Amino acid sequence: MTVNGRPVSIEVEPDEFLADVLRDRLGLIGTKIGCREGECGACTVLVDGDAILSCIYPALKAEGRSIVTIEGLTREGELDVVQQAFVDAAAAQCGYCTPGFVMVVRALLDRNPHPTEAEIEEALAGNLCRCTGYYQIKEAVQLAVERLGAGGGAP
Amino acid sequence: MTAGAVGESVRRVDIEAKVQGRRRYPQDFSLPGMLHAVVVWAGYPHARIRRIDPSEALAVPGVLAVLTHEDVPVNEYGINIYDQPVLASDKVRWLGDRVAVVVAETLRAAERARDLVRVDYEELPIVDDPLEAMRPEATLVHEDRRSNLLKHIYVRRGNVEEGFAAADVIVEGTYHTPFVEHAYLQPEAGLAYIDDEGRVTVICAAQWPHDDLRQIAHALALPLEQVREVVPAVGGAFGGREDISVQILVALAAWRLRRPVKMVWSREESIRGHGKRHPFHMRHRWGATKEGRLTAVEIEAVLDAGAYASTSVPVLENAVSFLAGPYAVPHARIDGYAVYTNNAVTMAMRGFGATQPPVGYELQMDRLAEALGMDPVEIRMRNLLEPGSIAVTGNRMPAVTSARETLRAAALAAGWREEPQGWRRPGASILRASHLRRGIGVACAYKNVGYSFGFDDRSTAIVELALASDGSIQSALVRCAAVEVGQGVTTVLAQLAAQTLGLEVSRVRVALTDTAATPSAGSSSASRHVFMSGNAVVKACRQALEKRDAALREESGATRIVAEATFRGHDVRRTTAYDIVDGHCEPHISYSFGTQIAIVEVDIETGAVQVDRLIAATNAGTPVNPRLCLGQVAGGVHMGVGYALMEEFIQQKGQVRTARLSEYHIPTVADMPRELESIFTEVPDPDGPYGATGLGETPTLPTAPAILNAIHDATGAWITELPATPERVWRALRGVPAQPAAPARRPCP
Ligand code: FES
Ligand code: FES
Repeated sequence: MTVNGRPVSIEVEPDEFLADVLRDRLGLIGTKIGCREGECGACTVLVDGDAILSCIYPALKAEGRSIVTIEGLTREGELDVVQQAFVDAAAAQCGYCTPGFVMVVRALLDRNPHPTEAEIEEALAGNLCRCTGYYQIKEAVQLAVERLGAGGGAP
Repeated sequence: MTAGAVGESVRRVDIEAKVQGRRRYPQDFSLPGMLHAVVVWAGYPHARIRRIDPSEALAVPGVLAVLTHEDVPVNEYGINIYDQPVLASDKVRWLGDRVAVVVAETLRAAERARDLVRVDYEELPIVDDPLEAMRPEATLVHEDRRSNLLKHIYVRRGNVEEGFAAADVIVEGTYHTPFVEHAYLQPEAGLAYIDDEGRVTVICAAQWPHDDLRQIAHALALPLEQVREVVPAVGGAFGGREDISVQILVALAAWRLRRPVKMVWSREESIRGHGKRHPFHMRHRWGATKEGRLTAVEIEAVLDAGAYASTSVPVLENAVSFLAGPYAVPHARIDGYAVYTNNAVTMAMRGFGATQPPVGYELQMDRLAEALGMDPVEIRMRNLLEPGSIAVTGNRMPAVTSARETLRAAALAAGWREEPQGWRRPGASILRASHLRRGIGVACAYKNVGYSFGFDDRSTAIVELALASDGSIQSALVRCAAVEVGQGVTTVLAQLAAQTLGLEVSRVRVALTDTAATPSAGSSSASRHVFMSGNAVVKACRQALEKRDAALREESGATRIVAEATFRGHDVRRTTAYDIVDGHCEPHISYSFGTQIAIVEVDIETGAVQVDRLIAATNAGTPVNPRLCLGQVAGGVHMGVGYALMEEFIQQKGQVRTARLSEYHIPTVADMPRELESIFTEVPDPDGPYGATGLGETPTLPTAPAILNAIHDATGAWITELPATPERVWRALRGVPAQPAAPARRPCP
């Protein structure tokens, strides 16, 4: 597989999940674990561009695929447009849910650069946040959409 | 030039790292040679332990130790009283009791061995209902106590019989609130090791590190200087991290085995292993004149304290002071009881005894309004406390008392009009479909800021200035163990320092909490850090400026100035304990007020409730960082909506039925009000730093009663038991009795 653009070759057990491989074996601790049952979205990463829950994604399935984690969004110290929007909208409090939300939004905007409000809500509805009440997260998405529309920084 | 000073929505100091996944939470730390530890949890909610046999577990390759009560030097802990065993010895009293800790080279080995620790139990009868638990013949949760009653607190004011005789109308109600789970996204985790100075060091999430230290040192029989706690990023707290979780367990293992030890709880362990918000059974009887003025209240509340005391006594103290609401009432009889059961320990959770009372007092207010044919805003306006009013506890309310301002602001935003005859509600709006009913509901609430009832609340800050040769300040470092749990305190303290020092906020750094480097600031709770630690930082900055000026006068050439200051709540208002005779006291240092108005749509076919619009008027004094304040309001409303409509931690016979996030539902983006309008009334707190005060908890309080009052307005049904699930609403609409609800029995004492 490739992780954040770099080829990675690693032996995994059949009962290992991608989240643990990323965190414990590759040291990519930006991917968070909140529930291990696919309920909270904190562990979201991109697999071949799709947002998936890495806590219930068997590591074996990742073979040959391209994985992008939160660490892979920042390029040469430059924040991704989604990350920047989260900063500007103050969309993180404790921040534990934040990497998961950022990844979900990144996947949404890659697929659909002009989502409607309903589409945004639908994309966010699988992720839990206990701190923000989601309003500032929704603002961040709107901000990212606007900036992308204005030609700002899509990779 | 003080860019980023008080009143500006400067960027959170930690946010760039957080959006990149670069902030480390306790589970993100590892050390070479690190061992893994797992808990063996109680097998029953109430049972005697006959024998613990670790031999099979110890035989698993890689297992180094199975720690039991015999390994704990002083086997007790607890935030208020030491009534909780670190590892259960003779008895387990709830499912969250810890019986043993397995330590192994790998997590797999530890987990495998956990199932092989044989514990021989003798099951005991369970007390799972606080009203039952108060009966004289009830099984005792703690045999060394004469009864399960942990504490009874009361207030007597005036003469309620006289008050009811003077009433034109009397309304009664019983209300029940559930256990509530904090559900912070980051489960408990900790890493302990012996640092280079020989201290047992615990990296963990906490709210009150210096109090954790006291408890760790006590259990390990070590001097305080030999224990250290480092608090990295914390993934939410909400009161749930005020008590000890993994701290003593990992410290004990590291101390015994002299190697780093890490423990990470799963979500199930987190939900099972930490306490919950107290359920309240409340019974209210209120009288008022036909002009809508309160004449008397009689209120009784029974709190389920769960298996151990935790902070149940201070929660009860708080609750009793708030049960009658932010209203002036001449005659009051208020009784509150906290009772031990074999249910989950109950503890601090956003509101700390101020969250449950509004579910009673605000529904009582609307019932009075209905009985008198009065507008709900008008009747509140006639009774609200104002500066100088005497509260039920006999104290005079301070200048920050801003209930009226918040009600006024919310009412105007919702379309109420102030007319010569009084406040008038807006007209009905158009329905979207025939099975939908729309309603509007108002609720006011208030909360203390800082620790109450005579507690010597204090916070200490150290400020270090780096000076240029001309004496100008280059940068400042603030040391203060005010834990950043997500609320933004680090940013706010930086802004307060910047304001006081006349420095750009980017030149102020706030040190990470480490008990070896930052002085005690007290807990990240009671909405207190802006007020307590904010005042401490301002005071330390002012002293640093004086020292700097003196250094300049003396031409000492100093390049570094250090000042330390402690702010004490007593310096503002000396609080006192409840008087033994009538319960009168000076309960709180300061206060925060809020009003919310909810507009809901009830589907009368399914009972589902959607909040269409929520208006939240909150008084934070002068907001230091409006954007962060808005975040507190939105997050508070999130918890209020969950409380109102969906959240219920369920135990049956002491067994947990909601141990996962797929069983315990918190609001997703789709469950939130479609529109949130937040207003800050900005009545300054003359005792707060630059007029600011805390607001972390208040926005949670009015949400649920506002929604319940709106459901009543829409449908005519009173939902008196939270949460208002579709089923409960559906039943209430059809008059179908609910399954075993809170019995409206009178408690015995
Ligand atoms: S940790 Fe994967 S969904 Fe919660
Ligand atoms: S910011 Fe804390 S869970 Fe979302």
